[in-house]
Amino acid sequence: MPKMTARMRRFAAAVALAAFAWTAGAAPADAQTTISWGKPSEVLSTDPHLSGDGTSWTVFYLIYDQLMGMTDDLKPAPGLAESWQQVSPTTYTFKLRQNAKFSNGRPLTSADVVGSLKRLLDPKLGASWGRQLRAIKEVVAEGDHGVRIELSEPLTPLLSILAVSTTSILPMKELSEGSFDPTKGMLGSGPFMVKEHLQDESWTLEKNPNYWREGHPKIDRLVIRIMPDDTTRIAGLREGRVDFATFENPDTPRLLKGVPNVDVYIQQTPNYFRLDVSALQESSPFKDDRLRKAMSYAIDRDRMVQIIFGGESKPEYLVPAAFNPPAECREHPSYKLPRAERVKLAKDLVKQAGAENQKVSIIASPVLVTYPLIAQVLQRDLREIGLQPEIQQVPVAEWYKRVFAKETDFHLAVSWFAGYGDPAIVMNWWAPGANAAYAGFMKPVEEYGDVMAKVRNLPDGPERQQAMARGCQIVYDQANLLPLVNKPDYIAYRSDLIQPKFGKIEGNFDVLKYAEEFTRKR
Amino acid sequence: MRLTAYIARRLGGALLTLLGVAVLIYIAIRLLPGGYAELVLGNQLEPEARDYLNQKYGLHKPPLEQFWAWLTSVARGNLGVSLVTQRSIGDEFLRRAPATIELALLSTLIALVVGIPLGVLSGLSDSSPFWRTTGRLLGAIGASLPEFVLGTILLYFASAWSMGFTQRGFVGFFDDPLANLQAMALPALSLSVFGIALILRTTRDSVKRVTTEPYITTAVARGDPPGRIIRQHVLRNASIPVLTVSSTFIGYLLGGAVVAEVLFSIPGVGLYVFNALGNRDYGVVQAGVMLAAVIFVMINTLGDVLYAVLDPRIGSRAG
Repeated sequence: MPKMTARMRRFAAAVALAAFAWTAGAAPADAQTTISWGKPSEVLSTDPHLSGDGTSWTVFYLIYDQLMGMTDDLKPAPGLAESWQQVSPTTYTFKLRQNAKFSNGRPLTSADVVGSLKRLLDPKLGASWGRQLRAIKEVVAEGDHGVRIELSEPLTPLLSILAVSTTSILPMKELSEGSFDPTKGMLGSGPFMVKEHLQDESWTLEKNPNYWREGHPKIDRLVIRIMPDDTTRIAGLREGRVDFATFENPDTPRLLKGVPNVDVYIQQTPNYFRLDVSALQESSPFKDDRLRKAMSYAIDRDRMVQIIFGGESKPEYLVPAAFNPPAECREHPSYKLPRAERVKLAKDLVKQAGAENQKVSIIASPVLVTYPLIAQVLQRDLREIGLQPEIQQVPVAEWYKRVFAKETDFHLAVSWFAGYGDPAIVMNWWAPGANAAYAGFMKPVEEYGDVMAKVRNLPDGPERQQAMARGCQIVYDQANLLPLVNKPDYIAYRSDLIQPKFGKIEGNFDVLKYAEEFTRKR
Repeated sequence: MRLTAYIARRLGGALLTLLGVAVLIYIAIRLLPGGYAELVLGNQLEPEARDYLNQKYGLHKPPLEQFWAWLTSVARGNLGVSLVTQRSIGDEFLRRAPATIELALLSTLIALVVGIPLGVLSGLSDSSPFWRTTGRLLGAIGASLPEFVLGTILLYFASAWSMGFTQRGFVGFFDDPLANLQAMALPALSLSVFGIALILRTTRDSVKRVTTEPYITTAVARGDPPGRIIRQHVLRNASIPVLTVSSTFIGYLLGGAVVAEVLFSIPGVGLYVFNALGNRDYGVVQAGVMLAAVIFVMINTLGDVLYAVLDPRIGSRAG
């Protein structure tokens, strides 16, 4: 056997070293505690008052504070307001935290709260959430840390609305001076601040040194890696490239089964998928009330729950199930009748409308993997009653253009609603004039507007429940925009690397409500 | 004088081509349904909010005015600002170009390193059923296997077997060469397969053709060693078509290997423009298309000019 020459020994050593370095891939020593999040989509706009994109909201909550928060059973909780009082049915006072500061060090005062809410209500800005708060007559600063809100009429969901990221408190002094533009950056008083943003790549958030909650956040840095593909996020979890990742895919638990050290948390929500129905355009077959009713009777929510979610969801109602809706919301014939009976009724209605073999389209954007899956179940349901449904998987921009426009161009479209912290918030979207985006396809129903006024004005109690019950009846009878099934959130994390905490139930899409309490194990 | 006139004609033609591209892309992207404001506002679209955003971003101005402002800005070298980030598009391209260029170069290198030897072997051993079949099979697989399928398979196995390929995500080469290569290995491999097939087939066909040339027979008859014949005669003469397809391949990759960049989260130009298209970030898409057009037109124009310099007949004869 030939002896190994010195040259061969040096070569072998170099190869061994390279192989070791390759597989070890040691990260440089990092004194800061960092947790990485694999996020499916990029933030589309940095102005929380105008953003209608739920996945951007998850980031806003990390940087901005709201006046109110929400408990794990969907009740109002202190936020920037450490306490509040309802002085009268139309007057609320809030006491702000004295130690709240923006990440640039400037103390947050009542002027910032007043200015932010006024900006939200400014008709020139046209923020949709301004309409949710249209009952606000006046917002007044009382000293540096007191705010009074005067309403033109009682508004029961006010405190819940003030917990949503669309009502975030902005640094109004900097905004009015022109040194801060919310469409170009983010400057908040929340637990984190933006250190770096690489478009489509990552956000690096560092702990806000001026955060009002002492000792929090517990980590120094949160790195958000933008990973649109489920496969990439799963690989990232497996390799430890990300410590946790959020998913929309109902197959997430199954896909991650067997991946070592990865746990999946299915976060409950009052959110639900919905079906938008075009009832105004002549070109839509669903302009006919009978066909809308037939379609609503044909929907098989139980099948959606089983086939798409493997049982990890449930049928939903106008008033989300999490708020214990009145019986009328759960027992409308379109829900309660046995399926065979509903299908028979639906077929009769289709025949009466002369719509047998009518071609109908279902817009189901692939932006969420669940939309096309829901559309496939709907397709089967509608075929059963004699319609010819066709699924159209269109890009988001086209979907919005065709559905949320003055002149719409669609028949059916799958989407979703957040359930928030009070049923009046989600119910409000059906109210005439509540949202211009739906004016192109929703028939206004005056009675529903009156019902909604009661739901918004009345305190919790039998009368409010009665109004909600009537609201459910109207919405289901109209079948113009229908709740489908519950939308849970999926969070997968490396249980050997981090100790996360998640809310039991989350209605404002604040998936990482407890991010400031996350810690690293190793 | 004739050459000068020829060059001037070519440059004029190039400018007209670029103007045509500018007009086409400007119109095309605005014909797509939905705009940036609609995307941001989603189902909370209020007319006032849309007007506010359109005014803020200058999208409310007449289309011709917007086009002229954009065109003159690009002519001055300013590619504009992204609607999504409000940051300079040019700076973003500069930041991302190295990733795309590196991916293109690595993929081409792999394709050459694997494709040429296999092609030579296959071409020289065409009488051998094994090499004939291997060459054809590899060529067929490489040409027909989509890169996203291969990429997904590679990603799964690499992470399941902890091979350390994507450990820390994309890192710039000069920041950490090892981590960079770890991150680029899989996307480069998945992109290279098509290139391997292309180069293998071209090399094989070219080698087969060259080996039938009389000078090869002469070299064999002269008693030249086989290795020397292959190096000095076969490879050199067979390389021209291989160079042509290689440059086409690298040009295709430089256009932005979107699928690989999306799948492996490589922050390159392709991913940037792809996302911008979905976001209706008009400036980015227009800039991306114009950049690709400028590169393409420049290379072609340069080639035409070089031909004219090398062959004076071209300058006098051509239109």
